[in-house]
Amino acid sequence: MADPRRSGLGHACMAVLRRDLTLAWRQRGDMALPVLYALIVTSLFPFALGPEDALLRRIAGGVVLVTVLLAMLLALDAMFRSDIEDGSLEQLMLAPQPLALMLGMKILAHWLATAVPLIVIAPLLAGMLHLPTPVIPVLLLALLLATPLLSLLGGVLVALTAGTRRSGMLLALMLLPLCVPVVIFAAGALAAAQEGLPWIAPIAWLGAAFALTVVLAPLACAAALRIALDS
Amino acid sequence: MANWIPLWLHKLSSPPVFYRFAGRLRPWAIALALILGLVALYGGLVLAPPDYQQGDDYRIIFIHVPCAWMSLFVYAIMGIASFIALVWRIKLAEVVAMASAPIGASFTFITLVTGSLWGERMWGTWWTWDARLTSELVLLFLYLGVIGLYHSFEDRRQGARTAAFLALIGIVNVPIVHFSVNWWNTLHQGSTIRLLGPSTMAGSMIWPLLTMMAATKFYYIASLFGRTRTDLLALESGKDWVRQIAEDEGRR
Repeated sequence: MADPRRSGLGHACMAVLRRDLTLAWRQRGDMALPVLYALIVTSLFPFALGPEDALLRRIAGGVVLVTVLLAMLLALDAMFRSDIEDGSLEQLMLAPQPLALMLGMKILAHWLATAVPLIVIAPLLAGMLHLPTPVIPVLLLALLLATPLLSLLGGVLVALTAGTRRSGMLLALMLLPLCVPVVIFAAGALAAAQEGLPWIAPIAWLGAAFALTVVLAPLACAAALRIALDS
Repeated sequence: MANWIPLWLHKLSSPPVFYRFAGRLRPWAIALALILGLVALYGGLVLAPPDYQQGDDYRIIFIHVPCAWMSLFVYAIMGIASFIALVWRIKLAEVVAMASAPIGASFTFITLVTGSLWGERMWGTWWTWDARLTSELVLLFLYLGVIGLYHSFEDRRQGARTAAFLALIGIVNVPIVHFSVNWWNTLHQGSTIRLLGPSTMAGSMIWPLLTMMAATKFYYIASLFGRTRTDLLALESGKDWVRQIAEDEGRR
């Protein structure tokens, strides 16, 4: 017979996921902010650098990547914020289900609510900067692997700052060193695709990093939260 | 009976014992750091011959290279202390880890500044996005993140434990910095000093470098002991042994 406390693990996962997605959907305005932010930042580049096609085409991939990263950073702070304020995170820590799994579900919900809209408008952002059409599938693939990586790494850092009051700028400082490899490999794939070279190697590195992070980050996130909220 | 070492270490991890121990050793560390540093500077700036290729400009390595080593060494110490602090919850390890962060950040900063001065003379540019330079810059950001996270908590011990976790996550960067010159063949020159096998550097240049390396180690010890002493006093300010010290100081 199964351990009664472990029964319904899938049920608990679905409940957390559904709750977070419902909350995100009820505040659709907040969900739209990162998308607007990305659009505005992208449209600033042609103003700042001048509207020459060749120049924009060359920087398009990197600009879209960095813009998406910044937009995600902006939304990261809110990942556990309301749950800490109303105490539901403590309830989650007391729940019999493994905390790492529950947090993984919360990170997944956050990724669905913030990163997926950004990935959806990524072709538009790329089009604004004249990224060649054949490169766009590579861009989407790179974003599909890089954004969950950022969400997972960000989840660990947000958990670390959970016990502090203001953490916005601090998060940027902490996330930057950890996301440098992500940016390098994603941008490497785009640069290779743009020059017509094989781009699968950096994508494979991203995939490997994603596989590693998806296993380790929820555990680290749970440990970090236990340290940060233990007082 | 060989178990006096763990016993002694165990005793040393108690704040008052470490406070006295660090206080006794600190003057020696300062003296050694000063003497070795001056000897190394004299050896490096006066005695060592100019380089056949880089002339006198190469002499900046007597500051740059020891600081670069220390930037990684201090991070490793911080990582080890963080691990001990998180696993065994030893107060002293938390203090050592957090006191190391600003020292390591300073060494990293000096490395970046001297490196860019050197780069201006050798490569004709202050900065380039070379693998080792970039990873060293990332190391500086890691240090700053740890310091920032530590100070964003109101409770110091909680802040120390949280920042220690971040330090542990960031330790993946240390091997990247160390091996970056071997893994990516970019502008930065490869390593010339080897522990195993002959070094590709003249002896008259090597000894000041190694002396300076020892001097920076002693400087680190002196600075770390000073910082941990102050932090321990602040952290334990309600305890009897601190009150005792305060009374003794007042009487003098």
